[in-house]
Amino acid sequence: METQSKIACRDCDCLIMMPEMQINQTLVCPSCSSKQFTTYNRPLDYSISYGLSSLILLVMANSFPFLSFDVQGQIRTITLIQASNDLFIQDFVFLAVLVYIFVLLLPMAYLSLLLILLIPIKFGLKSFFAVSIGRLIGYFRPWIMAEVFIVGVLIALIKVIDLADIIVGFSFWAYIGFAILFTLTANISNRHQLWYWIDHAKR
Amino acid sequence: MQNDKAKVASDVAAQKKANALTQHFQYPPGTAAFEGLANCRSCQLLSDVNVGNCPRCNDTLYLRSPNSIQRTLALIITAILLYIPANIYPIMTTVLFNDKTASTIVGGVVLFVKSGSYFIAAVIFAASVLIPIAKMLIILWLCYATSRQSHLSRPELSRLYRATEFIGKWSMIDIFVVAILVALVHITGIMVVEPGTAAQAFAGVVILTMIAAHQFDARLIWDKQKK
Repeated sequence: METQSKIACRDCDCLIMMPEMQINQTLVCPSCSSKQFTTYNRPLDYSISYGLSSLILLVMANSFPFLSFDVQGQIRTITLIQASNDLFIQDFVFLAVLVYIFVLLLPMAYLSLLLILLIPIKFGLKSFFAVSIGRLIGYFRPWIMAEVFIVGVLIALIKVIDLADIIVGFSFWAYIGFAILFTLTANISNRHQLWYWIDHAKR
Repeated sequence: MQNDKAKVASDVAAQKKANALTQHFQYPPGTAAFEGLANCRSCQLLSDVNVGNCPRCNDTLYLRSPNSIQRTLALIITAILLYIPANIYPIMTTVLFNDKTASTIVGGVVLFVKSGSYFIAAVIFAASVLIPIAKMLIILWLCYATSRQSHLSRPELSRLYRATEFIGKWSMIDIFVVAILVALVHITGIMVVEPGTAAQAFAGVVILTMIAAHQFDARLIWDKQKK
């Protein structure tokens, strides 16, 4: 990466002369020791493959039963979207919208936009809206709560495990897979890497 | 008369220009701001602050986020106010054979302690009581510490800020638990879980503290003179 000869730490504004970076090295601010970014092996290929798998898993997580709840033969089966849908039915619109956005909409938008940006770059084609996509992705990242949602689901399961039989559906595993791959994708295509690609994209 | 006005206006303009040229000397040496370079908030490109907009991504350039402390304080005060209803009202109501039990956030923790699952009780207590309160106090403290001398050193304050920013979204756990329970435990006539008002308020607290942590400009910690 040769474009920027120096960067400033986001936490303390310390000027950092960009050193020569090897693969799998992390740049740490010398003044406040906050992590700046990590370099990865073949970041473009891995971002696209992880991002694509993650998106497919997220679509699958929406298409199958998430959890089933069995009390004396009466079975209640829910899909992922019902977590926000049922709040909506109960007139808790604010909560329903939040859950929907943080758990489904933003991850979906993030991954789709990332792929729309990266796939043309990979094949050397013209990429459209590269700068806008880069900015949008940066705004989305802190609000994606896939891993928090998984911990929430686990705690909810522990709460009801004494009351009934719980059947874990296919979607549950798909969502966990999605969350892991999503974290990998987001780490590899970090802010620094992303803007390096956008700088070098054909526009 | 009009000549005077024009003269005053040009004086003001000249003064502003001089301020713009010298303002960066108030920042400590070694920082980008000292050199008059602004770090773009969106794409982290360094460019001259007088350019106005980032040449790469067109975001507005600032040496420091404008009114960062005021915005953070406003958001935090709102969050503190919302935290009161979040603890008073029930976060969810369990209906078991027409027998309604409403439970608050703290009530849920107590229930887990009574049933003996201490680990889960600790997780929920940390996520929905400890972390939100700690976050609000830390951000308030940081706002205070940027303007006064504090007995914590700058690296310590910086570490506190990074911890608050990282931990922010984990308070949403309780909201997701309620969402899943409401959807899953719904067998009419036997067992139904209904969401409570506190869930909305608590979601508001989490989001407001997250925005407040984003709004706070951590670089202000380092602008202070070294003790």
